[in-house]
Amino acid sequence: VVDQIRLWQLENERMKTTVGFLFKEFEDHKEYLAIAGFAEEIGVLVWRSDKTGMFFASKHEQIRDYLRIRKKAE
Amino acid sequence: MPRAIRGVLVECDPAIKSIIVNIDSDNHDYIIEELDEERVVIKENMVAALKAKLEERLAENHPDDESGSE
Repeated sequence: VVDQIRLWQLENERMKTTVGFLFKEFEDHKEYLAIAGFAEEIGVLVWRSDKTGMFFASKHEQIRDYLRIRKKAE
Repeated sequence: MPRAIRGVLVECDPAIKSIIVNIDSDNHDYIIEELDEERVVIKENMVAALKAKLEERLAENHPDDESGSE
């Protein structure tokens, strides 16, 4: 029984969870690259996939602000 | 404008991920997005429930007779 419990704990340790925000559905790949790059730069990027054009960030406030500034500049 | 969806990124090995997908397949109330073989984004309020279900499934996968068969 002890061995089993140890085994389950091991399985749980193999699972990492991070609270944050999934960014998806960008207008185009250029926009995706710019925003993902910004997220990386400010240190909130957790995961990115250039293939699917999605990324996961631990925070969203600064990214939101950056998006707004970009829109205004257009 | 892109969408920003609040959730929890789960990073695990492919075996665990497939169990999570299987648990979700009943009602589809856990997963927000499947990212790749080792990552899924799940609803923040479902993390505890998912972990409990995962423990259940893992317990089922390690029956007593397996270790006693040698």
